[in-house]
Amino acid sequence: MAEERRFRSVSGASIALRRRQHSASCRELAVRGPRLQLRSLSAATSAVWLAAYGLFALSENSMVLSAAIFITLIGLIIYLHFVKIDQESLLVIGSLGIQVTSSYASGKESTTFIEMGQVKDVVINEAIHMQKVIYYLCILLQDPEDPQGVSEVVPLFQSSKPRLDCLIEVYKSCQEILEQRKTAPQSS
Amino acid sequence: NSPAPLPERAIYGFALFLGSWFGFILYLIWAYIPETWLFSLGLTYWPQKYWAVALPVYLLVAVGIGYILLFGINMMSTAPLNSTHTITDNYAKKQQHKKFQEEAIPALRDIPISEVNRMFFLPEK
Repeated sequence: MAEERRFRSVSGASIALRRRQHSASCRELAVRGPRLQLRSLSAATSAVWLAAYGLFALSENSMVLSAAIFITLIGLIIYLHFVKIDQESLLVIGSLGIQVTSSYASGKESTTFIEMGQVKDVVINEAIHMQKVIYYLCILLQDPEDPQGVSEVVPLFQSSKPRLDCLIEVYKSCQEILEQRKTAPQSS
Repeated sequence: NSPAPLPERAIYGFALFLGSWFGFILYLIWAYIPETWLFSLGLTYWPQKYWAVALPVYLLVAVGIGYILLFGINMMSTAPLNSTHTITDNYAKKQQHKKFQEEAIPALRDIPISEVNRMFFLPEK
């Protein structure tokens, strides 16, 4: 069963959270950011081309115009492939692990899997980020030597940055599955 | 160590006041009076007048850069989102747990973030 709700990100953009329950111990939570808008693409392209035309009018060198076209095309491809993240998803499988996937606008997907033995907890942490204090969801990894310690913090949903209401929904869903770890019998 | 007025402080203050006025008048003489007049008085070994303009400019630019530098140093020392310093630190790791006593105020301690989250975000049934 799947349900989708709209929320806002930290910067005010509209994002959508989609929750799917595959089974009693497996849930997938996906946050989808806004698609690349035609108006921002046209604005950036026009700005670069007007600047290039201004340079051409000053210098009478036509290479500036071809360079501008080249730069716009290459820049757009690099942006879509390396920068623009469309969807970030979290797949929590109790007793197996947590998988974090980022899908870029060009179709590239980058995946990280953390096995359940390493996961200490999934918490909402607040930290200072660029003159703001933001809430963000993160996975705390267990320190092998110290059972109470945290060895590493893995922040989630870094590019869509949902606000607290969306994070609370994701947190509750994750905690329902992580609680089953304690009640289920330990298996090696 | 109180900031109340004392006779010694009054004397230091007055000496500083006279000294700063003397320094200011000396600076004005050095900057404005032509070199030939100073040479005719016998005062020849003074720095170039270029510095009378350059030093204040250096000072003001340094103050302006200081604002930007302080801002940048602050941003650099902020812990990144993926560091454990946002969750705990040395004092919290080494804290000792006091035993719980009935009808006494519980001792002050650093509560782990998992417990805080459960308290805030999971509704009590």
